[in-house]
Amino acid sequence: MRRLIWLSVVVAVAIAYPLLLSSPFQQRLGALVLLYAIAASAWNIVGGYAGQVSVGHVVFFGCGAYAAMGSYAKFGLSPLLGIPGGIVIAVGLAAIIGVPTLRLSGHYFSMATIAVAETMRLIVTNTDWLGAAVGLSGPTVPRNIFDLSFLSSLPYYYLFLVILAITLFITWWMTNSRMGFYLRAIKDSERAARSLGAPASRTKLYAYMLSAAFTSVSGALYAMMFGFVDPESGFGILISVKILIMAALGGAGLLFGPLVGAAILVPLEEISNSWLGGKGAGLTFVLYGAIIVLIARFQPGGLLSLFTRRRKPTSDTGAGHAP
Amino acid sequence: MSFVLVQVIVGGLLLGAVYALFSSGLTLVWGMMNIVNFAHGDFVMLGMYVAYVVYTLMGGGPILGAPLATLVLATVGVVVYFALIRDIMKGPMLAQILGTFGLALLLRYSVFWWFGANFLSMPQDIVGGTYAFAGLRIEASRLLAGVVALLVTLGLHLLLTRTSLGSKMLAVAEDQTAAQLMGIRPDTMQAIAWAIAAGATGLAGALVANFFYIVPTVGETLSIVAFVTVSLGGFGSVPGALVAGLLIGVIESLSGYLIGAVYKDIVVYVLFLFFLWFRPQGLMGKM
Amino acid sequence: MTLKHVTGLLCAAAMSLVLAAGARAEDKVVKIGVIMPMSGGTASIGAHAKAAIEVAMDIINNPHPELGNLPSAKNAGLAGLGGAKIEAVFADNQGNPATGQNQALRLITEDKVAAVFGSYQSGVTLTSSAIAEKYGIPFLNSESVAANLTERGFKWFFRTTPIATDFARIYVDFLADMKATGAKTDAIALVHDNTEYGTSVANTISAAFKEKGQPVALDVAYPVNATDVQGQVLQLKDKKPDVIIMISYTSDAILFAKTMQSLDYKPAILLADDAGYSDPSFIKAVGKISQGVFNRSSWVVGPPGSASAVIADMYKKKSGEEMDDTVARQMQGFFVLADAIDRAGSTDPAKVQAALKATDLKADQLMIGYKGVKFDDKGQNILASGAIIQLQDGENYVSVWPKANAEKPPALPYKGW
Repeated sequence: MRRLIWLSVVVAVAIAYPLLLSSPFQQRLGALVLLYAIAASAWNIVGGYAGQVSVGHVVFFGCGAYAAMGSYAKFGLSPLLGIPGGIVIAVGLAAIIGVPTLRLSGHYFSMATIAVAETMRLIVTNTDWLGAAVGLSGPTVPRNIFDLSFLSSLPYYYLFLVILAITLFITWWMTNSRMGFYLRAIKDSERAARSLGAPASRTKLYAYMLSAAFTSVSGALYAMMFGFVDPESGFGILISVKILIMAALGGAGLLFGPLVGAAILVPLEEISNSWLGGKGAGLTFVLYGAIIVLIARFQPGGLLSLFTRRRKPTSDTGAGHAP
Repeated sequence: MSFVLVQVIVGGLLLGAVYALFSSGLTLVWGMMNIVNFAHGDFVMLGMYVAYVVYTLMGGGPILGAPLATLVLATVGVVVYFALIRDIMKGPMLAQILGTFGLALLLRYSVFWWFGANFLSMPQDIVGGTYAFAGLRIEASRLLAGVVALLVTLGLHLLLTRTSLGSKMLAVAEDQTAAQLMGIRPDTMQAIAWAIAAGATGLAGALVANFFYIVPTVGETLSIVAFVTVSLGGFGSVPGALVAGLLIGVIESLSGYLIGAVYKDIVVYVLFLFFLWFRPQGLMGKM
Repeated sequence: MTLKHVTGLLCAAAMSLVLAAGARAEDKVVKIGVIMPMSGGTASIGAHAKAAIEVAMDIINNPHPELGNLPSAKNAGLAGLGGAKIEAVFADNQGNPATGQNQALRLITEDKVAAVFGSYQSGVTLTSSAIAEKYGIPFLNSESVAANLTERGFKWFFRTTPIATDFARIYVDFLADMKATGAKTDAIALVHDNTEYGTSVANTISAAFKEKGQPVALDVAYPVNATDVQGQVLQLKDKKPDVIIMISYTSDAILFAKTMQSLDYKPAILLADDAGYSDPSFIKAVGKISQGVFNRSSWVVGPPGSASAVIADMYKKKSGEEMDDTVARQMQGFFVLADAIDRAGSTDPAKVQAALKATDLKADQLMIGYKGVKFDDKGQNILASGAIIQLQDGENYVSVWPKANAEKPPALPYKGW
């Protein structure tokens, strides 16, 4: 009951935010928070719940972004129509990447995902059909509503809110299903889980594919909002690090952790950039870095872990002990 | 084999030795403490700036700059260990990524704030120009870095396998509690490991500075190479990092010359992924 | 508890935003939003641009009769707006198209800028100008060269810089002149990075030479921010082209210079396409071993006492750097924008847009070596042009081509070190 009350408060605040703080920049900030929350929540499925720290998750983000922009730039269709294609590519790619790399333990998996993402970035950079280094642009002047190119951030905000809700609902449903049970067992001890008959490899792969699908959607939405994607903004490794940091900072493996992380880091980055960026002294990132260091130092389980009842002592989220 | 190809391979070996040099510190802490240091590239960058400051203030070349960079970075390593690493080590892997990435930004942009964003460079002849052997051309500064890479690898390897300090460090890496019961203080051992690793990284930076450009964001360019080198070599294996570094250097040079430079990194990553498939513990890593 | 925390944080974030939306523009101040890369790998560009625009503001806002025909220099402030002062609001795009767009939105809606100026990287210019277009705010770009920027049918986008087709024409003509004086220019090699700048400029140059019946003999592409370029230099050494055209940013330009020396390779003619080779850091770092390199530049320091020399001096005092082509193009762009606002006599976007469209500046009204500034229907300056400069005797570029404006004759072959 208490949880339901809190949930409705959050939903009410989320719905009211852009109406209460209605300047275009505030609305856009809200939309960005939700967008990154979608990406970080998607990452959370495999990185938080399954404990497989994918650092190269941007590879799926880029698939979605390129599918959306490609749908417009290459076929003259609405970028929206690229979303299913992006999901299919991302999930397929996740399967191809996942089968060999999910066997790898801890850090090796992380490094393998970085290598995959970098390979993808380089391939796209050298592929003329995908715009090579120039990238692909969306519709500059929207033809109709399905081009999803709006002046106001309001439509984006509510669209992102709905998709975030779907992402979180499916995550919640997953954690309460048999799959969630397996995932928790695998995260605690993969060997023990296997010996008890949990299909560890398959479960991890499913989580990875599900995560890839939602990450791809977030990439597509990102590209539609900014109307542009190039290899760096689609497949740059820094984007996945940013997503990972949001999830970790809020609390990986917790349903609302990524949202909290995004709600702190996105405004922190944009506002500190607005205040300090123009001075050109790099102070934005000194501040940003210092805050991340402090949180990692004093709240290594993420901010939300402050408030969650501890079921057990800090679990070892994907610490890469060799098996 | 054409003559140019020999030059390409020699160049690749020297480049690879440099990769190995700035990866040895990373592999040491990674293997010993199971920590991915995302600030590693920025430690290299700090080493480069120390060498540059030594050069501009005192006119000293690598003879002065390299030891000073080693010393300064070793100190930085110890400070970072006690202020940050000791605590985030107890947390999940994510906290380590969070902490070291934040540290990377902090270091990078503190330097940016102090020195500005301009590209800096050491004079071309600071180490002594270029040697020509029978038509082969080898830059003295790269040769120096290569030789030091071999010495550092050998030194670290001997330290870990032949000295009591090394066995104590390995004991802590193996099992902290057991080590503690034997009267070894894990804190001290790990702080020493960080000092050595950061010192080696600073040394690498000071030597790379002799033939590379210096800029606050240079660590970004170098860190991914270091990650791949260390993974390929096997986490914690110092000789592994050397072999992997040389291998990557030669593959990069050959593929860059024969296939095209824009594809050379793709070749390296794809080979790396194939390799992980067959030998997921890396070249010389333990299962 | 958890969720309360979330709400609390959201509120805190929102509150700080409300505070951030500061006071409205004062009377008699015209705000211009300036979006530049001020962090990340190209941050030095942003730092230089900032200094240059601060100098430009000084020139516009204070009387500078010594600057001759330069519009808005003579009197204090903008005469057309009753002496209103120009104020640049700087923003950092972090070299990221998304950040650039967010900052453009902030400048337009929070700071209420009269126009936006930026954003260096073509990708960032693309996204940030899209926002200005949607809001109907003039956007002036002075340095991004991607062809597609002016092909989008935008009505609020103006670009003063020459673009790749202009560069290609300059190189074709320059090399033809060199050939006429007896230099060998038959085999041309292009060396370029794989960024949007490198590939698109290389493609355009390659097409231009092909049209002249002299296809490019060798095309060497390399990944930007390379850790090593020995392979590429060896490729060049192997194929021995007569002319190398380098299209590189500062980092790689430095590395190429160092590697060419260590591998003892000198082409007869080394011709650079601006960018890294114009960066003062490049000259400081490797100028001594790049003697005789040709470079494209629209900027030439004139004789002492000339307007451009005075401006170069002011810039040096401000930034500690020599004025280079990129910064000069930016400063010129800012002057064009200020002049348009001055002529519009208002900060009303439509009037500024009309004034920009009506811009017709002559060569003697500019600080840079364009033939003038006049925009076509797409917003491209049709009078943009460039010259060839050469690094001779030490650490300064001198203009060597076209002959009419040359300080010294071109020296051949490339000397190196």
